[in-house]
Amino acid sequence: MTSTEFDGPSTVNEAQIRTEEKPMSQASPAAVTQPTMQPLVSMNGISKNFGAIRALASVDLEVYPGEVVALVGDNGAGKSTLVKILAGVFKPDAGSISLGGTPVIIGNTAEAYELGIATVFQDLALCDNLDVVSNLWLGRELNVRGVLDHVGMETRSWALLRELSARIPSVRARVSTLSGGQRQTVAIARSLIGEPTIVILDEPTAALGVAAAAEVLNLIERLRERGLGVIVISHNITDVQAVSDRIIVLRLGRNNGHFRTDDVTNEIVISAITGASDYSR
Amino acid sequence: MQSRHPPPGSQTSLREANRARIVESLKRHGHLTQVELAGATGLSAATISNIVKELSGAGVVNTAATSRSGRRAVEVTLARRQGLVAGLHISKRHLRVAISDVDRTVVAENHLPLAADHRHDREMDRAALLIGDMVEALDASLSDVLVLGMALPHPIDPASGVISTPGLMRGWDGVAIADSMSERIRLPVFVDTEANLGGLAELRSGAARGFTSAVYIRVGYSIGGSLLINGFPYRGGSGRAGEVGHVMIDPHGPLCGCGNRGCLEAFAGGPALLELFRGDPGIHRLRDLLLRAEAGDSGARRAIADAGRHIGAAAATVSTLFDPELVVIGGEMAEAGELLLAPLRHELERATIGANAPEVVTGTLGDRAAVLGCLAAAIDNVAAEWKPQLR
Repeated sequence: MTSTEFDGPSTVNEAQIRTEEKPMSQASPAAVTQPTMQPLVSMNGISKNFGAIRALASVDLEVYPGEVVALVGDNGAGKSTLVKILAGVFKPDAGSISLGGTPVIIGNTAEAYELGIATVFQDLALCDNLDVVSNLWLGRELNVRGVLDHVGMETRSWALLRELSARIPSVRARVSTLSGGQRQTVAIARSLIGEPTIVILDEPTAALGVAAAAEVLNLIERLRERGLGVIVISHNITDVQAVSDRIIVLRLGRNNGHFRTDDVTNEIVISAITGASDYSR
Repeated sequence: MQSRHPPPGSQTSLREANRARIVESLKRHGHLTQVELAGATGLSAATISNIVKELSGAGVVNTAATSRSGRRAVEVTLARRQGLVAGLHISKRHLRVAISDVDRTVVAENHLPLAADHRHDREMDRAALLIGDMVEALDASLSDVLVLGMALPHPIDPASGVISTPGLMRGWDGVAIADSMSERIRLPVFVDTEANLGGLAELRSGAARGFTSAVYIRVGYSIGGSLLINGFPYRGGSGRAGEVGHVMIDPHGPLCGCGNRGCLEAFAGGPALLELFRGDPGIHRLRDLLLRAEAGDSGARRAIADAGRHIGAAAATVSTLFDPELVVIGGEMAEAGELLLAPLRHELERATIGANAPEVVTGTLGDRAAVLGCLAAAIDNVAAEWKPQLR
C-alpha cells in the first residue's frame, strides 16, 4: 500500500495555525487560488464538412493536464470526427488548434504522434498473432547496434504495465489469448510508449464485461494521475461520470453543453445529448 | 515492538519479500502458472519454483498440473479453507470488493471508481457480477460464499433496511439494501456503515488494535464515525451512533444534505472542500487537492488545515462525551497526514475537557479499511452460526 506522506513542511503550517484564532464559521480563503495552468490542447471554432454533410460546426474543446474530459453525444454527433481532427486523420475546414499555448497545424497522424497526441481507436488495432511486447513496440522497436533489443523491450514493457497496475499475466502471451479488458489495456499501454501528453480513448469500455470495464476505468485514473490529458469518447454515462472531470456534449456537430462532472446528474447529460434541453451558448 | 521480521538486506528478508510478491500476484490474478508468475513478479523461474514448493509445503498455495499453449505447466492458486466470505464497500466515489476465506486470508480483491451520483440498481448489479467473476477466477462458485458483508456511507435503519436519512445518497433512498442485494446474489447479506466497518477493521488489525475505547472518523467525500467500545462498534438505538459528520459545529453554518445546518460535513466533507477550488482546472477530486498540497500550494494546504480544525472541533465534542483513548482518522483525506492531523489535534486539545486529550493517529489500513471490516464482520457472522467447524 502506498501512502503519501506530507511530513516535511507541516510543522511550519502547524505553527501558523496555532497562532491564528479565526472564528470557525468563516470560510477558508482558498477560493482565491487562481487557475494558472495552460490547457494542454485547445481547439477553437473547429468546423468540418464532408460534401453536403456538416460534421462539425464551430466546436470548441479544451483539455488541461491531469484532466479527463468526456466527449459524449449521439451517433453522428461529430465526436469521432473531432478527435480524428486532433489525431491528424482529417484536416479541419475552419478553426484553430493550439498545444500548450502554441498554435499548430496537424497535417497527418505521424505529426500528431510527434506532437504527443496518442489515440486508441475502438478497434484497438492490435496484431492478434503477436505477443504483448511485440504489439507494444510495433514500428518503434528498440535496437542495440542494429539488433532488436528483446530484453530491453520486455523489461520496459513490464515496467510500464506494472506502473499501470495492469492485470496481464504474461507479456509473452499472444494478444489473441487475452480477454477484452486485457486487450484494451495493451492498446492503452501501447499509446503510452511514445510518452504522449494527450491520450484519446474511443469507447474504451464498450463491449467489455464488468471486471474488464473496471480494469479500464482504473487505468484511466492512472493516466490522470500521470498528469496526462485524457479525452474519452463514451456512450456509457455512468462510466463517464465515474472517471471524467468535465463532460462536453456534442449534438448534430455543435457543442450542446459543457459541464463540470460534479455539477451534473445523468438526467441533465442525457437531455443535452438528446436535445431535450438546449445548452448551446 | 520487537518484530519477528528478519533484518533488512539479509537473504532471509529478500526471500520473505519474494514470497510476499508471489502471494500478492496470486491475489490479483486468482490463478497463474509458474511461468506467468515469473513474468508478473519479475523473479526468475528457479526462484519461483523454489518458493512455490515451499509455500505449497506450508499449505499457503495449491499447485495443479495444467497446460498453456500446448506445454505442460504448473498452475498455482492460493490455498483456502473451506468456505469464502465476500466484502463489498460502496463509498461515495468508489466501489471495492474483496473475497477472503474464513481464516481471514484475502484471496481476491478488485475496485473501480464510481460516479458521484450513483444509483442502487446499477451498482448492486455490477457488484454482484464482479463478485461472481472473482469467485469464478478462484475456481469456486457463488455457493461456496457463505456471507456478503456490505458497507455504505450512511447508516441503515435496522427495522426497514433503508438508508435512515433520506437525501444523503439520493440514488439509494427507499431501497431495502440488504434484501435487494441478497436477491441478486442469493447469499445472506448484512449492511453497515463504512465508518463502523472501517473502525472494526482498524480495531482488529490496524491502528486501534488493543484499545478498549476508540473513535474512528472516516473523512472523505462524506464524513462518518464509529464509537469502538470493548471490541465492537456501538451502533446506538437506530444505527446512527457516531455520525461525527453531522455534529453541528456552527448553528449559522451552511445547509447540509441531511436537512440540518452547520454540520461538520458541510465544512470539511469532500464536496465542501472541492467547492473552494471551483474554476481551478487542476482540482476536481480530493486526490488532486492532496497532490496540490503535497506540492506546496498554500491554498490547498490551508483548506486541508481548516478541515482538520473543523474535524478537531467535532472530535472534541465526541471525546468530551465519550472519553476515548484514541482517535483514528481514515478515509481519502487521511492521506494528508500531519497536514490534517496537526490542526485537528490542536483543536481537539483546545476544546476537550481535562488535560489529557486522546491521541490522534491515521489508520493503518488506508482505503481498504472498510472492505476488510466487511470481511471481518462477515466472518463473525459465519462464526456465530458455524462455531464447531471453526474451533
